[in-house]
Amino acid sequence: SRKGPSGAGQQRAGVSQCVPRQELLKWNGWGYNDSKFIFNKKGQAEFTGKRYRLGGMVLPTFKEWIEKTFGASLEHKTTSRASLNVNDVPPSIVNEEFLQDLRATKISYSQDAEDRVFRAHGHCLHEIFVLREGMFKRIPDIVVWPVCHEDVVKIVELACKHNLCIIPFGGGTSVSSALECPEEEKRTIVSLDTSQMNRILWIDEKNLTACVEAGIVGQDLEKQLAESGFCTGHEPDSMEFSSLGGWVATRASGMKKNIYGNIEDLVIHIKMVTPRGIVEKNCQVPRMSTGPDIHHFIMGSEGTLGVVTEVTIKIRPVPEYQKYGSVVFPNFERGVACLREVAKQRCAPASIRLVDNAQFQFGHALKPQVASIFTSFLDGLKKFYITKFKGFDPNILCVATLLFEGDREKVLQHEKQVYDIATKFGGLAAGEDNGQRGYMLTFVIAYLRDLGLDYYVIGESFETSVPWDRVLDLCRNVKERIVRECKEKGVQFAPLSTCRVTQTYDAGACVYFYFAFNYRGISDPIHVYEQIERAAREEILANGGSLSHHHGVGKLRKRWMKESISDVGLGMLRSVKEYVDPNNIFGNKNLL
Amino acid sequence: MAPPMARCPRLPPPNRTRQPGRGGAGPWAPREAAAGSRAARRGRAGERGAGRRSGARRTMATEAAAAPGRARRGAPMYSQKELTSKKRDEFEDILEERRLSSDLRYAMKCYTPVIYKGLSPCKPNAIKSAVLQSEQVQYVIKQLAKEMGESPDIIQEEATEILDEMGHRMQLGAVRFFAFTLSKIFKQLFQRVCVNEEGMQRLQHAIQEHPVVLLPSHRSYVDFLMLSYLLYTYDLALPVIAAGIDFLGMKIVGELLRRAGAFFMRRSFGGNRLYWAVFAEYVKTMLRSGYAPIEFFLEGTRSRTAKTLTPKFGLLSIVMEPFFKREVFDTYLVPISISYERILEESLYAYELLGVPKPKESTSGLLKARRILSDNFGTIHIYVGQPVSLRTLASGRINRCPYNLVPRHLPQKPSEDIQEFVSDVAYKMELLQIENMVLSPWVLVAAVLLQNLPAMEFELLIEKTLWLKGLTQTFGGFIEWPDNLCAKKAVLSGLTLHSNIASLVDGHVVLNDKGMEDGAVGEMVFRHALAVLMCATYRNQLLNVFVRPALVAIALQMAPSFRKEEVYSCFNFLRDVFSDEFIFFPGISLKDFEEGCFLLTKCDAIQTSQQEIYPTDKGSGTVSFLSAMFRPFVEGYQLIFRYLSKEMKEAFTEKQFIPGVRNFVFQLLEKGSTQCYEALSSDMQKNALSALVQLGAVKKKKMPSGFTYNVNQEAVSKILDMFDDSADAIPEHNEFLFPEYEILIEPEEPEFPADSTDDEQGAEDTSKGAKEQEELGAAGTADEAFQSLDEETLEAMAKHETEEEKIFQMFKKQVAAEPEQIIRYCRGGEEGPLWVSGENRPEEKDIPNCVCGAKRIFEFQIMPQLLNHLQVDSLGESIDWGTLVVYTCADSCGGGSEYLEEFIWKQDYSMGCTL
Repeated sequence: SRKGPSGAGQQRAGVSQCVPRQELLKWNGWGYNDSKFIFNKKGQAEFTGKRYRLGGMVLPTFKEWIEKTFGASLEHKTTSRASLNVNDVPPSIVNEEFLQDLRATKISYSQDAEDRVFRAHGHCLHEIFVLREGMFKRIPDIVVWPVCHEDVVKIVELACKHNLCIIPFGGGTSVSSALECPEEEKRTIVSLDTSQMNRILWIDEKNLTACVEAGIVGQDLEKQLAESGFCTGHEPDSMEFSSLGGWVATRASGMKKNIYGNIEDLVIHIKMVTPRGIVEKNCQVPRMSTGPDIHHFIMGSEGTLGVVTEVTIKIRPVPEYQKYGSVVFPNFERGVACLREVAKQRCAPASIRLVDNAQFQFGHALKPQVASIFTSFLDGLKKFYITKFKGFDPNILCVATLLFEGDREKVLQHEKQVYDIATKFGGLAAGEDNGQRGYMLTFVIAYLRDLGLDYYVIGESFETSVPWDRVLDLCRNVKERIVRECKEKGVQFAPLSTCRVTQTYDAGACVYFYFAFNYRGISDPIHVYEQIERAAREEILANGGSLSHHHGVGKLRKRWMKESISDVGLGMLRSVKEYVDPNNIFGNKNLL
Repeated sequence: MAPPMARCPRLPPPNRTRQPGRGGAGPWAPREAAAGSRAARRGRAGERGAGRRSGARRTMATEAAAAPGRARRGAPMYSQKELTSKKRDEFEDILEERRLSSDLRYAMKCYTPVIYKGLSPCKPNAIKSAVLQSEQVQYVIKQLAKEMGESPDIIQEEATEILDEMGHRMQLGAVRFFAFTLSKIFKQLFQRVCVNEEGMQRLQHAIQEHPVVLLPSHRSYVDFLMLSYLLYTYDLALPVIAAGIDFLGMKIVGELLRRAGAFFMRRSFGGNRLYWAVFAEYVKTMLRSGYAPIEFFLEGTRSRTAKTLTPKFGLLSIVMEPFFKREVFDTYLVPISISYERILEESLYAYELLGVPKPKESTSGLLKARRILSDNFGTIHIYVGQPVSLRTLASGRINRCPYNLVPRHLPQKPSEDIQEFVSDVAYKMELLQIENMVLSPWVLVAAVLLQNLPAMEFELLIEKTLWLKGLTQTFGGFIEWPDNLCAKKAVLSGLTLHSNIASLVDGHVVLNDKGMEDGAVGEMVFRHALAVLMCATYRNQLLNVFVRPALVAIALQMAPSFRKEEVYSCFNFLRDVFSDEFIFFPGISLKDFEEGCFLLTKCDAIQTSQQEIYPTDKGSGTVSFLSAMFRPFVEGYQLIFRYLSKEMKEAFTEKQFIPGVRNFVFQLLEKGSTQCYEALSSDMQKNALSALVQLGAVKKKKMPSGFTYNVNQEAVSKILDMFDDSADAIPEHNEFLFPEYEILIEPEEPEFPADSTDDEQGAEDTSKGAKEQEELGAAGTADEAFQSLDEETLEAMAKHETEEEKIFQMFKKQVAAEPEQIIRYCRGGEEGPLWVSGENRPEEKDIPNCVCGAKRIFEFQIMPQLLNHLQVDSLGESIDWGTLVVYTCADSCGGGSEYLEEFIWKQDYSMGCTL
C-alpha cells in the first residue's frame, strides 16, 4: 500500500522541481546513485557521473595515495549487500484508528519497508555500516508527507490524540545520530518527511526576504531564488541534500558565512508546530527586544520541540563576480597566524580555509589526469618554485583556499588585501585552480567514504570551534590523540588524521577534522571507531574546544551536554521541553 | 590470598568510589568526591590531634571504615605487592669502557644527540628573549608596573637581570671539558658506575616523542654531574638542570656548570612575583620547545639521611602546567634512582645533622674535597626508570581544565584538584625512585648492626644479614648481591669499604666511635652519635621498603587487641605521625595497611582471619626485628614530642626549636636515660615538628620574619599518650636477647602500718619484719597465713573470701612492699616459698632427692614480675607462671665447676585468681 509522493503521483502542480529524491539517492551511502568513486579496469581511480566537475575523470595518483596512506590493498575488498533485505526490516506497527484518521486528512503516507529504512538514519559511519551489513533495531513505523503547514498541524494533533512519537525528517544528512529511532520507543514512530513542503511562498524584494517552506533542499532553494536574481548565500557542505528546516533545527553554518552569516543571522521569522500549538513572532523585523529570543529555543532544538514549517529568510542579489584563490604557507603555524590576522583585520573573504599538510596531499592525490603536457609542465615548474626556490618542505607546507564574492572591483581590491597579509606570513599565491579544486573536493569528499568502506577503510569527519590562541594546540593534540588511540586499540596502520581551519571569527575559528583508518584485523571496527572518536572529542573539550560548531549534538554527543552548558543550562532547556511537549511526542531523544 | 580487609564485613566494599548523595553520575563524579575527601581528611587530621585519646581512636576507626569510600584514585598509584615479581633490567658498567680507551677521544667524540621531534636546537639567548617577550612575563611586568607606579622598562630590566642570573649557557666546549675531567675523577672515585642500558634506550625514545623531565633521586652533588655525564656517554641531549643558587658561590665551577646546562633557582622566591613568572616561563619555554630534557630533584635538596625526602611540588607543577594547558600533547616524567654504595658526603651529612653547620659551597671547598679523591667509594647504580606519561596519569583525573575559561597566559593558582594531582604524582615518582634503588649488602649489615650495638659477633652478623636479605627480597627490595658471592665475603667487603664506620675487632664487629674512652661525656655522646648517624644512613635505605609491614608489626603490638579495626587504627596513627619521615602515597592508608599485612603474611610473620590479625609463633622474630628497626623513630619522636609538650610554652621558630631539642636530647643521652642517638638528627626533629603541624597539634604561622610555631600542649600530650601505650607494648628486647638489667639484692624490710605501731598486731609485724624470711616462709599453710594478717583482713576473708583468694591476697600483700622484686632467696628457710595459690603446691614426696641422695631443699623462687621486665607479658601468648620455685641439694654436692641438674616447681595462678 505504497502511497508515497514518489510513487502514487500525489505531487501537486506548482512545485516546480520536486525530485523524487529517494530514487536518485544511494540507499546505503552518500549522495547520488550515479556518482561514486570506482577503480576502473586499469586499476585507476575514477569518479563516475556527470553531476560534478570531477565526473568522468581519471585520478592517476589516487590509488597510490590510498595504498600508502592506509596500507589498504585493492585485493582486499568487502562489499555491501546489494539491496535492502525486506525480511530483515522490523515490521510496521500502526494503530488502525490512527490510520483511519490519517486517511481522512488525505496526507500521503507509506508503511513500505524501504521508505521506512531510508528515514531511519543519518550519515554517521555506524549508520552506514548497519545499512551495508546489518539492520537497525528500531525504525519508523510509518512515513507521512505533509505538503503544507496545515498538514503538519493535523499530523501533530493526531499524534497527540493517539500518543504517537514523531521524528521530523528533512534531508537526512545528520551526522549526530539525530535520526536514529530510540530503541526503547514503544509507541508508533511517525517519520514526518518535510520534503513535499518545498515551495518558496513569497519573495519580498523591498526588504530582501523570502518566505520558504522548511522542507526545501539547499540547492533547490538557491536555484529557484536565482531565477529571480537572488540567493541566500547559505552553503553548508551538505547543501545538495540538506533542508532549510534541518538547518534551523541544528543551527547550521554555511561556507560563506563571512558575507551572509550563519543560519541564526539569516533567519527573520520561524513558524513551528508543537504539541502545545504554533510558535512564531508577530512581525518580520530585523531585531527585537522582547526577552530572550524565542528563535533561539527553536534553532538547535534538533526536532525535540516540534516541526519547523515555514521560515522567512534574508536574501541577497546574486553576486556579480566570484573568484577562487589559494595561498601556500611554509607550515601550518604560519597559516594559522595569517588567518588570525585576516580575522583581526575583519577582511576575511566569503570563505577562507586552511588545510594541513596531510589534507593538502590528499587533495593532490585527487588531481585528475592532466590533459596537456603544458599544464603538467607548469605544475612541475610551480612545484620546483615552491619547494626548491622558496625552500618549502612538501611534507610540511599547507594551503589556504579562498573564495571572493561581490562586485568585480571590490573583489580584486579585497583579494590584494588578503594576499598582502598572506605575504607577511610567508605565504605564496598558488593560483585559482588550486582554490577551486579545494572547494569542489568538499562536495565529493563525502563520496570517498563509500569507496573506503569497500576496502576496509572507515572514516568520518567531526568539527569544533575554538579560541584563536588554542587553535594550534588543539589541532596538534587532537590529531596526535587519534594516532595514539588507534595504536592502542590495535589498528594496524597509522590512521589518516587531518584537519582544516574552516571558518574564522573575531574570537576564534572552526576546525574540521577528517579521520580514517584501515580496519583489517580488527573484529569490531565500529566499536573501535566510536571509542576513538569519543577520545578525540574528549581531547577537543580538554583543549578548550566546543562540543560542536554546527553538526549539533543529536544522540552522539549527548553525554557531554551537561558539562558543556552546566546543570542549570540543561535544566533551562529541559523546562522548555517539558512545557512545549509534556508527552514527549517529539521523542527522538536528541540533545537532552 | 585475598586482600584481608576486603573480606572484613565491617568495612564497605573498597571499590565504592562515589560518595553517597552526590547525585549526577558521569565521569566527573569521582573527582568531585575527591575534592571533598581531601578537605575531610585534613579536617579529620586536625580533629584527631586535638581530640581526646579515646575519641581519637574512634575517629580513626570510623575513618578506617570510610577509607574505601574515599579511594578516589582510579588506578592504584602504588603497590608494593607487585615489586617482588617485578623484572628489573640488567646493569652495565660504563666506566669499564672508559678505563680501556682514551678519555680525550671520548670527550671529543662526535656528539649528535637525538632531539624531540627533529627540532633544531636553539641558542640559549634565543630562549632568553622568547621568555622575556612571552605574554606571561609581559603580563606580570605590566601588572607590577601598574601596582608600583614604575615604568615597565625598569621592571623589564629587572626581569632581564633575573634571567641572566638564572639562565644556562650550554656550550659544547664546556660539555667536552666536563666529559674529560669527569672521566678522570669518576675513575678515581668509583669502582664501577652501573647503568641499566634498557632504561637509556627507553629514554632515547622518550626524548624524541615528547618533552622529558628527568627526576633523579638526590643523595650527593655527584648526582647531576653523573647524570649529564651519562647522557653524554649515550649520545643523548644534555639536560638543563634546576640547581640551587648557592652553586653560584663557586665562581669558576658555577660558570662551568652553567655552560654545561645548569640553570639556577633561588631557594625561596615565594613572594617575588616577577622572579616566579620569569622562572616558570623559562622552565616552560624549554619544556615546550622540547629542545632539552629538564632535570630537577623532587626532594628539593640532597637527602642527608639517604632516606627519600618528602617531595617539593613547585617545580613539578611548573613542568606539568604546559600539559594541563594542553600546550604540549604529553610530558614524560622519568624517575631515576641513583644509589651509592658509599656516599661521598657521608660524614659531612652526619655533622650537619648534628648541627655542625655545612660549609657553604665554594670552589676552595671543592678543592679541599679533592682529598677524598684518594678514597674508594665503591659502585654507583643508576637505574633509569620507565618514562611515565603525564597524560596517562592524568586520564580520568584531570580531564577538563579549569584553564579553559581564563586566557592561558594569566598567572593562575592551581585548583585544589590540580594541587592534589601534582602531589600524587610527586609521591608516585618518589615511590618509583625508591622501588629501583639498589641496596648493597652493606645496607643490610648496617641494619643488623644498629640493632646490636655496641658490638656483634661476626658470625652472627653474617647469619642475620643473610636472613635479612631474604626478608628484603620478600618485600620487593632491589638487592644487588652477585649470585656467587658468599655472605661472608659480601659482609667483609662492605666492612672494608666502610672501614670508617665499623670494623672487625676480635671476631666482633663494632662501630668506630674512637675516643669514646677518653674525653668528656659530651664528647663521647657526640662521637657515638656521629657513628650511629653514619651507620643509620645506610640502614635508612631499607626503611621505605620496610615501612608498610613494619608499621603493621608495630601496630600489632600497640593495639589493645588483634581486631583488624584496632590494628588498622594504630597503623593509621603511625602512618600519619610518620608521614614526613617516610614516603606514603597520599590517601591510601587502607591500601598501605593491606600491603603491609600481605607482605607480613607472605613471610609467615602474621596470620589473618576475617576479623583478626595476629602474629605467628614463627614470625615473632620478624615482627620484633621490624619494630626494632623503626624503634629509633618511635622513640625519637616521643622525645621530641615530649620536649615540645613540656618545654615550648611560647611561640618559637625553627631556628629556636632545633638547638633546643638537640640540647634536650643531648642531656638525656648524657644522663643515660635514653639510648636514642638518632633523635639528635635535625632531620628527624624537623619531620617530627612538621608531623605535629599536620596533625594539628602545632600551629604554624607565617610571620614577616618567617614561620613561627605554637604548641597545643594538650594535643601533643594526647599524641604522646597514644605512643606511650605503644612504647610499653614494644618489647625492649630484640629477637636475639632479652634486655639487660642489674639485679639488686636487699633484705626484705618489714612494713609499718603508719597508725598501728603500738598495736599488738603491729608489734608482731615488726618482730616478724626482723626475721622476715623465716616468718614468711612459715606461711606455708592457710592457717599460718592467718597469723600474719590483721583482724580486719581476717574478718573480710572469713566473711567473703575463699581459701584460695586468701593465699593470693597474702601473696599480693607480701609483694606490695617491693613490687619490682623478681627473685626471693632464702636457702633452706623453713617458711619455704611464697605461694601464689593454694592449689598445686608440692608435697614433700613431689620433690625428688638429689642425685647424690641428699634431700632437696628450697633455695629461691622466681617471681612472675620477671615476665614484665622481660616484656614477655602478652596474655595468652607469652609463657606464663605464677612462681617458679627452685629446690637444690641440701648438701650442696658437686662443688666443682660443672653444671648440676636441680629441681624446679612451676606454680600457676589458679583459675580463681587470674583477676
